[in-house]
Amino acid sequence: MIYYIYDGSFEGMLTAVYESYIRHECPEKILKGDCLQDNLFVEYVFIDTDEQKAKTLYDAVKKKISPGAVKCILYAYLSEDKEAGTAVYQYLKLGWKMGKQVDSAIAHPWVFQIHTLYNKVRGEAGRMLGLIRFNLLRNGIYYASIEPDHNILSIIAHHFKQRMPRQDWIIHDVKRDLAAVCHDHQCIIIPFEFDGPLPLDQQEIDYQSLWKEYFKDIAIKSRINPKLQRQNMPLRYWKHLVEKPGAAKYFYPK
Amino acid sequence: MDLHTKLKILGAAAKYDVSCSSSGSSRKNTNGGLGNASLPGICHSWSDDGRCISLLKVLLSNCCVYNCLYCVNRAASDTPRATFTPDQIAQLTVNFYKRNYIEGLFLSSAVYKNPDYTMELMLSTVIKLRKEYCFNGYIHVKAIPGADPLLIDETGKYVDRMSVNIELPSNQGLKLLAPQKNKDSIIKPMEFIYNRILQTREEKKLFRSTPSFAPAGQTTQLIVGATMDHDLKILHLSESLYKRFSLKRVYYSAYVPVTRHPSLPIIANPPLLREHRLYQADWLLRFYGFTAGELLDEKHPNLDTELDPKSSWALRNLDLFPVEVNTADYEALVRVPGIGVKSAKRIITARKHHMIDYETLKRFGVVVKRARHFITCRGKYYGERNTGGTDLRYLLIPGTVRKNKTTTPGEQLTLQALYPHAFTGIDIFTTITGEM
Repeated sequence: MIYYIYDGSFEGMLTAVYESYIRHECPEKILKGDCLQDNLFVEYVFIDTDEQKAKTLYDAVKKKISPGAVKCILYAYLSEDKEAGTAVYQYLKLGWKMGKQVDSAIAHPWVFQIHTLYNKVRGEAGRMLGLIRFNLLRNGIYYASIEPDHNILSIIAHHFKQRMPRQDWIIHDVKRDLAAVCHDHQCIIIPFEFDGPLPLDQQEIDYQSLWKEYFKDIAIKSRINPKLQRQNMPLRYWKHLVEKPGAAKYFYPK
Repeated sequence: MDLHTKLKILGAAAKYDVSCSSSGSSRKNTNGGLGNASLPGICHSWSDDGRCISLLKVLLSNCCVYNCLYCVNRAASDTPRATFTPDQIAQLTVNFYKRNYIEGLFLSSAVYKNPDYTMELMLSTVIKLRKEYCFNGYIHVKAIPGADPLLIDETGKYVDRMSVNIELPSNQGLKLLAPQKNKDSIIKPMEFIYNRILQTREEKKLFRSTPSFAPAGQTTQLIVGATMDHDLKILHLSESLYKRFSLKRVYYSAYVPVTRHPSLPIIANPPLLREHRLYQADWLLRFYGFTAGELLDEKHPNLDTELDPKSSWALRNLDLFPVEVNTADYEALVRVPGIGVKSAKRIITARKHHMIDYETLKRFGVVVKRARHFITCRGKYYGERNTGGTDLRYLLIPGTVRKNKTTTPGEQLTLQALYPHAFTGIDIFTTITGEM
């Protein structure tokens, strides 16, 4: 049994898939470097990331399967699921045979898994578009912190770039120490670390309290339904919501 | 009066307006202004009653000249009154929007002074937002019944969605509870908006530069449980509204008692389950190809509270089932209880490649617990056999155990059961501890 190990980047994952074709090997799994377990019967092969090979594979997928398939494997990668690499490898294997038909063969387990990962990432990205809360800082920058399950920063950045073209903002993924920074119509994703109290603008505190009061008043008392609320807005997101202050205590008991 | 108090009064007063969706419009961000609209809509938060908060829902004013009995803001009611200035609303909206709290504005109002005056104020608010603040986010405005069509026409050019509330499903109900309103004053603006939307759509085909008119269409809302109207009447009304005026949605709101009056029913809790069933039936009308006449008839004018409308329809039409999932067409599939639009589409796509088996159905999100009684899969029937309509009904109601079980519970044969005399209490005790 052979396991391919890549460095955790998208290019690395594509290189690993590409290498399997050159070496005429069928790896059992394609895994990220950080989730290895000692296994007597497994031969670990470490793959060096090669951007040229990754690009070749990327273009081939786009041309021979479909642009939709490219999106599928990218989202599967962004899901950061342990099985993502293996699923992509198996999905592409089927894709070369079926061409663009592969996305309609949803009864096939690997295709279904890729689509499930795709939907998870897309779903969370969609939800995050609403759940991000910007705080206006003293220097005029709008700052928001998030802790999503999947690495969705690159997906959502575009939405805010289009929506707020004149606003300088930072969306900070606290879990991954990444941030999307937008300034003057330019948007980049960079490694970012920030911890500590936010230097809030004076006006900001007023609007936050207005929003909190509004949030409380809009609920109809005779229809209170916390279960439905949590179903739509899972507790793990509450930590960064303005209207749910101190929600962290629900999420982290003690 | 400061902004906090005003928002408190006018935000709370707007909470009984149900509509909060921000879908249907794809307004672009222009001239580097603020915001755009997202076609599927975006929910930003969910309040403690579980309803989504997508738009800043406020009343322009709650000083009302009308005296509708069911309403908190009726003229005779003793509630604190407030009125926003257009600038205050615009500032609030823009600042909430910049912080990504909301997707846009939902502006309604009590009838302040007279319908025309109110509508004018609302129009100037909307114009201020669009022109002065370059705001391109979503705006939903209530058309005030009785306002000049010219004003409604002008408003429609700036907003994404308009709505007129029907409030009560029948003319008698209106007469009883909202004597100053009548059916015509509500239907007329609806018809007007509908015609304008159609007209704009036609003109757009000829001239791309035609200014849009309420691109996200119009909706309405009605109260359930304040009058004696039954579900069949409500569904017929919704059906005709969808057909005649191409409404995007009809919202139902369970009647929440806020005032007391001899004409109003006295209830302990709002009829939430009835509201839920109506929404289910409404979805069946819009996405599943059902008609109101199929779901209910004069003999059964109200929806079954125990069972969802699709299941109870299927139980009344058992002769149409079971259907084979590998051959049935889409229209037949979505009529199966437990199969929805999504899973039906998945089935249709997947079976182009090969036959679908029972396990795959589960993965596709089919609720097999319900669906198995109504389908065959590769010719095999997985449901309960030899059941009549009543037995099946018990199986379908969630959370109930089948009551009339015919078999007696079996008992495992043990030595002790066969030779009870041979085992004394001490013996058993010692075998448990393992010491003889």
